[in-house]
Amino acid sequence: MDERQAREEIQLIRRMIDQTKRSTAESGTLFVVWGVLLTLALVGNYVLASLRLYDWEWLNWVAAAVIGWIYSIVYGIRRRKKEAVRTYVQTAARHLYFGCGTAFLLVGLLFPALRVYSYESIVILVATVSGVLFFVMSGLFDWPLLRGLGLFWWLGAVVLSLVPFPARTLVYAGLFIPGFLVPSFLLQARSKKNS
Amino acid sequence: MTPDLFEPLDPVIHSQVRLAVLSILLAAEKADFNYLKKSTGATDGNLSTHLVKLEEAGYIAVKKSFSGRKPLTTCSLTEKGRAAFARYVKALEGYLPPGR
Repeated sequence: MDERQAREEIQLIRRMIDQTKRSTAESGTLFVVWGVLLTLALVGNYVLASLRLYDWEWLNWVAAAVIGWIYSIVYGIRRRKKEAVRTYVQTAARHLYFGCGTAFLLVGLLFPALRVYSYESIVILVATVSGVLFFVMSGLFDWPLLRGLGLFWWLGAVVLSLVPFPARTLVYAGLFIPGFLVPSFLLQARSKKNS
Repeated sequence: MTPDLFEPLDPVIHSQVRLAVLSILLAAEKADFNYLKKSTGATDGNLSTHLVKLEEAGYIAVKKSFSGRKPLTTCSLTEKGRAAFARYVKALEGYLPPGR
């Protein structure tokens, strides 16, 4: 073994580790599905509010959550069966998604239904959890854009708390497009490029 | 510095395919046979031989199961393997000039 061979071996180690990390990068599919579903739910909410069908707004969100969760579980099981390699980052990310998904259900549907707080506060809490989701993801996937999104959502939560209801929901919809929908497609594009 | 002063390299790891397999398993919680084959560029028989050597040394754990009707071999790094890999990398660094 000489210096050149030692360098070659270290390069091989680096190449294998990088390759493994790239092949298991976040695909973004679930984010796109949730992004589209929540956009449709936001539009549905607007239409129902315009028609003064307030009792149906609740069902609109429940439907979006149920469809999203069923899709997520089926997608997760199928992907797990097919995966040839699983990294620690993927396992950590799965726990993060499940944790934040549960938190969204609790703060967005269950707690308001139990009248722990008014439905007017939902978007503030959802924005706060979104901040946690993206901020932790930035660490897992080493992508500074996601860190920026985490900060964006936390700042958004503060802004939302200062805006009175019902304008608050409109502001949330305005934040949702650059803060969730666009990054979801960027995440998917990045994954395709890497693979 | 003469070669005698260098730390000896672990002969179980000192092979391109085995080093590549351990590097993959260091980044991954587990990887299946086909992924390792594709990543290392080894043939079925060649990779099997290397995996047996690593398993016999206690550096990797090999689990055989079925995915539907197809046999599935999944490998993961053991604690002993992780420690051996760390020692190997440290020994490798000894062959580089200081600060490089």
